[in-house]
Amino acid sequence: MIWRYILKRILWMVPFLFGVSIVAFLLIQAPPGDYLTTYIAKLGESNEVMDQASIQNLRERFGLDQPLYVQYFKWVSRLMVGDFGMSFEWRQPVSDLVWGRMGLTLCLSMATLLFTWAVAFPIGVYSAVRKYSFGDYLATTIGFIGLATPNFLLALILMYIGVVHFGADVGGLFSNEYKNAPWSMAKVWDLAKHLWLPVVVLGTSATASLIRIMRANLLDELNKPYVDTARAKGLSEFWLIMKYPVRVALNPFVSTIGWVLPNLVSGAVVTAIVLSLPTAGPLMLQALLAQDMYLAGAFVLMLSSLTVIGMLLSDILLVLLDPRVKYD
Amino acid sequence: MTRNWRFSSVAALAVGVFMHPFMAEAGEAPALAEAVAAGNLPPLEERLPAQPEVVTGLESIGSYGGKLRRMLGGSNDHNSILRIISPQGLTRWKADFSGVVPNVAESWETNEDGSEFTFKLREGMKWSDGEPFTADDILFFVNDLLNNEEFYPNAPARFVVAGEPMQAEKVDDHTITLKFAAPYGTFLTELATPLAQEPVLWAKHYCQQFHPAYNDNVQAMVDETEAVEDWPALYRLKCGEVEAPNRWSNPERPTLDPWVVTGEGYSAGSTQVVMERNPYFWQVDEEGNQLPYIDTLEMGVAQDNEALVLEAIAGNIDFQRRKISNPANKPVFAENAEKGGFEILDMINSNSNSMAIHFNHTHKNPQMRELIRNKDVRVALSLGIDREEIIDIVYQGQGEPYQIGPRPSHVLYNEQLGRQHTEYDPDRANELLDAAGYAEKDDEGYRLFPDGSRIVFNAQYTGVEQPDWGDSLEIIKEQWEEIGIELNSSSVERSIYYSRGEANEHDFMVWGAPGGLDPTLSPRDVLAVHPQASWFGIPWTRWYLSGGSEGEEPTESMKKRLALYDSFKQEADQEKALDIFRQIHQEAADEMEIIGISLAPNLVGVVNKDLKNAPRSLPSSWMYPDPGPTLPQTWYWPES
Repeated sequence: MIWRYILKRILWMVPFLFGVSIVAFLLIQAPPGDYLTTYIAKLGESNEVMDQASIQNLRERFGLDQPLYVQYFKWVSRLMVGDFGMSFEWRQPVSDLVWGRMGLTLCLSMATLLFTWAVAFPIGVYSAVRKYSFGDYLATTIGFIGLATPNFLLALILMYIGVVHFGADVGGLFSNEYKNAPWSMAKVWDLAKHLWLPVVVLGTSATASLIRIMRANLLDELNKPYVDTARAKGLSEFWLIMKYPVRVALNPFVSTIGWVLPNLVSGAVVTAIVLSLPTAGPLMLQALLAQDMYLAGAFVLMLSSLTVIGMLLSDILLVLLDPRVKYD
Repeated sequence: MTRNWRFSSVAALAVGVFMHPFMAEAGEAPALAEAVAAGNLPPLEERLPAQPEVVTGLESIGSYGGKLRRMLGGSNDHNSILRIISPQGLTRWKADFSGVVPNVAESWETNEDGSEFTFKLREGMKWSDGEPFTADDILFFVNDLLNNEEFYPNAPARFVVAGEPMQAEKVDDHTITLKFAAPYGTFLTELATPLAQEPVLWAKHYCQQFHPAYNDNVQAMVDETEAVEDWPALYRLKCGEVEAPNRWSNPERPTLDPWVVTGEGYSAGSTQVVMERNPYFWQVDEEGNQLPYIDTLEMGVAQDNEALVLEAIAGNIDFQRRKISNPANKPVFAENAEKGGFEILDMINSNSNSMAIHFNHTHKNPQMRELIRNKDVRVALSLGIDREEIIDIVYQGQGEPYQIGPRPSHVLYNEQLGRQHTEYDPDRANELLDAAGYAEKDDEGYRLFPDGSRIVFNAQYTGVEQPDWGDSLEIIKEQWEEIGIELNSSSVERSIYYSRGEANEHDFMVWGAPGGLDPTLSPRDVLAVHPQASWFGIPWTRWYLSGGSEGEEPTESMKKRLALYDSFKQEADQEKALDIFRQIHQEAADEMEIIGISLAPNLVGVVNKDLKNAPRSLPSSWMYPDPGPTLPQTWYWPES
């Protein structure tokens, strides 16, 4: 039954992504002008004249002189064979540009997710069980500060302190000597040394909100009759809480997995820019600003696919976790 | 890689120290000397041209080794690489931006009317892979690319005169004549600008494999390369374009540059770009030591300009002004200079004005057009601005009241063009407006058009890039109320700004004014020649560029200037050419089509205090791609 459900969901992705590709294409085309407008503007800014003949050459080269539906069809038919086209701005094949970025983005998302859970889960449980205790208030206060501080500001402050007071090299995910080096144990260790800063910065607000959700959900469960029953049967308090109410309260943890991936690509753009993270967000933002249609389109499509896959994952986990969920 | 680098540089340093007495004779980097000794590289005499160009460093003879650290902006900052490498064109700017000298070419001769240029190349000069650089490389560009309609459906304008693209004739292996259909007096200057390097950008022996005239199997290569549809696309992907990031993404492409890119080069995924010395570089110092002195360029990538400022104050940048040149950063740099071990670069702004107001002389509304075309009205609007107040409030006191045109230090400085009507005199302004026939006012004190509607200027500026323009306009709005003129300003997104301007739908536009140090290269504020920047008369520009078939016929004064400009482009005699430009500036001063606010203040940058031969003050411009013309290949780190 669950396999049929998964299969059905996967099959539905095809028309869904097709629709997304149309919307993505239209959205990228929506602002006035096209890539060449921004390119000419950029040249004009540096006092360079772009003569009409060259503009026309570029327009033809990029296919921007053709009607929208032709451009769309060309793009989609190439996508079918896995060719994302040529980035206008970088003049390089889009697939060369996106995969590396997506890899690091995934790595960062996973690390942030683990961090968020590792911190939010115990604190959430604690502050629910010890409601209105000193620890609860402390966690709550820190949580609200975490929620209220914009990520990029936190990033800037930490960077400033790092540079000015500790002479640390901040920003980016690698030290200079490892930036271009092939993967090795030393490089992984270097990554780990740099990863904590973005993970903390990106994870704080999510952690804070998960603590609140965990606490609220668990509080709901703790007063239910089944908890009393279990307690009456003599189960130890720790196992009692872990086994039943926590399992039910875990629901929000699992159901947010689906958003984590797209959120880190799109939501954390400003932070990624501030911290010079070589993730997908900043590149996508620039592609959108420059109206670099194929590059931006590739990102939007990947993001949508990731969302769909993430949602599927969290649905499957939910089914496994919560017997009340049905899939019909 | 870094460990290797460290090891070899330590080794190199040791060798350098011990071998120093012999160095004067050896004249090459220790690492290269080792490679020669190991038989991996031909000896220096075989790598250098028979007569290498001898260049002189700013201070002294240098020593080899070390790396130079810079930072690139996250997206598409490829021109930052171009600037430090310097476009190695046939000619280059003198370090003081006063004229051009031979560069890749050893010398040249010009025929009488200035339509043919014969370049003498250096015998024995090599590409960075050791293959000879000859007249055939230039011939390859002219015959197989420039004059190939598949590659350039229309040739770039800088190589086209009188509708005909440049032609080439090979005299011998080291001599080539470039021919134009009509005189082209500015050609040698043009060749020194950053985007005119194409004749010597592409090595024939390497790039011909992507050209169907030399390789029958190009189509197969096209088919197997992702995202590539035809051979020109493949060619550009592999051999690079003059102004695109992919120029720095293929380490296999031979170059004439002092440093060549390694590894992945520069692409959207790069977090660092590393360049190593070109063992075949063709310049030496006065003692015959091969340049560059510095082994490695290491360029980090940061997305955010504030992060770049942080890197600068932390002392992680050795020479840079790009992306951190905002005068507002000066106090931050001054505060951290000692700790970061750097000095502040004084970059002489090539711009004329921080902000120029382009009244639309070709306005679609006849009443507005009549108003704007009345010179007394423009004088009144200029007199109605208190520039000192704007400079104090918006520009932190940096600048002085100024209109447009060459800066006071420039040989073409025209006092009238720069300083006329910059004093604040609202009374005189009111008199002028009354006399011009706009004395009627409405209840709120604003002047009226003859038909009774209020005179309102709607101004557009790109607020995201230049918030200072918005601040200034707010102050001007208040000041113009005194003379009964209403101003509404709005910040617009840049592509909207451009599309409105190109559609001629503006009352006035605001932009920075180039032409302070480069008046002949960026004359777009005194001549209607730039279709995306001569906002005071876009239809005039169209008229000029289309040879009179489109757009709108300009005023007599502008037509006279455009004719002068045409003769300037053909004039090979430098002095006569400058005189022609003096006439253009005088005509523009008398007409005063646009007005400015403040002389553009100098920009700032950082330079490591230990870096020798690097200038502390230099011009900053795109046409003079700073710091390239100051020859970074002569910079060095003193042995400590």
